[in-house]
Amino acid sequence: MSRIKGFCCNYTLSVDIEALKKEGLVPEDLEIERLPCTGRLEVPEILDAFTEGADAVFVVGCQVDKCHNLSGSYRASKRVKYAKKILEELDINPDCVEMFFAGRGETEPVVEAARTMASRVDQ
Amino acid sequence: MIIAERKPMKELLGMISGVKRLLIVGCRGCVAVCSAGGDKEVSILAAALKLGVKKAGGDIEIDTDTLVRQCDPEYIEPLNDRGSDYDAVLSMACGVGVNFIGDRCPDVNVLPALNTTFYGANLSSGEWKEMCAGCGACVLHLTGGLCPVARCAKSLSNGPCGGSQGGRCEINPDVDCIWQQIYDKLASMNRKDELREIMPIRDWTTAGHGGPRRRIREDLLP
Repeated sequence: MSRIKGFCCNYTLSVDIEALKKEGLVPEDLEIERLPCTGRLEVPEILDAFTEGADAVFVVGCQVDKCHNLSGSYRASKRVKYAKKILEELDINPDCVEMFFAGRGETEPVVEAARTMASRVDQ
Repeated sequence: MIIAERKPMKELLGMISGVKRLLIVGCRGCVAVCSAGGDKEVSILAAALKLGVKKAGGDIEIDTDTLVRQCDPEYIEPLNDRGSDYDAVLSMACGVGVNFIGDRCPDVNVLPALNTTFYGANLSSGEWKEMCAGCGACVLHLTGGLCPVARCAKSLSNGPCGGSQGGRCEINPDVDCIWQQIYDKLASMNRKDELREIMPIRDWTTAGHGGPRRRIREDLLP
């Protein structure tokens, strides 16, 4: 079973992830780390997630122009971009990490992000 | 400032092959400002190397630190004690720092994490450009502050070559011909007649062609 790690900001995930698992909406081996803002996420945390066994990592932040902290999700997207570059250098598929954007309190984009990453791992 | 960039990850992984305990040492000088070897880059490199070693089936213990500078003895000499506990010390300073550790810390297996590239300026976030060659015989007072040694592909002293077309250099259409810029700048300052003065043949011994350079100020010596 693929292990997926997701980083979500406080505003893009408002539901209990375990409830989503029970309903079969997200992969069972999904771990979500909730951050005050994805702008706080640094590249080492993304890489460490892989070192700790994740097969894929995703980040869900606010829509770029609607970030609660103005530029947090934009910064996160740049860090994801740099993490992709490092993964590529290490011969790890850069598509194993991805940035997604969601509106405030929208659960569907988070579910979709988790499913997208699971399908990428399965490929 | 001195501009540097991280070596490719595969080169670094090859360098630390067999290393079980590694200390990555950053520098808060120029390489921190150009986002190559400061605190942030140290933590990224540590995470990346751990992942790379694990992917290759190995195991490594990595500690990190960032020094104020690696080009002054007081900051690097503590590595004589601390660094010898590690199989290797990966310096994220420019080549000066790596050399200085190599000189002053005989028991430390020092390795370079960066390629030191040039003396440059920060054009915008994430973009740096060479501005000085450190040639030791500055002629900027004759050229409107624009350096023909560092910024002309041929380091010409007396005007552009035939490859200057439309203000661009023949090596790459994105590169400005610095001699065109020097002419335009001096012309705008009503100084273009100064360009009729032929610069003498340069003495390149000051540029490192006479061996490693050294500067001494007697009044500051201990």
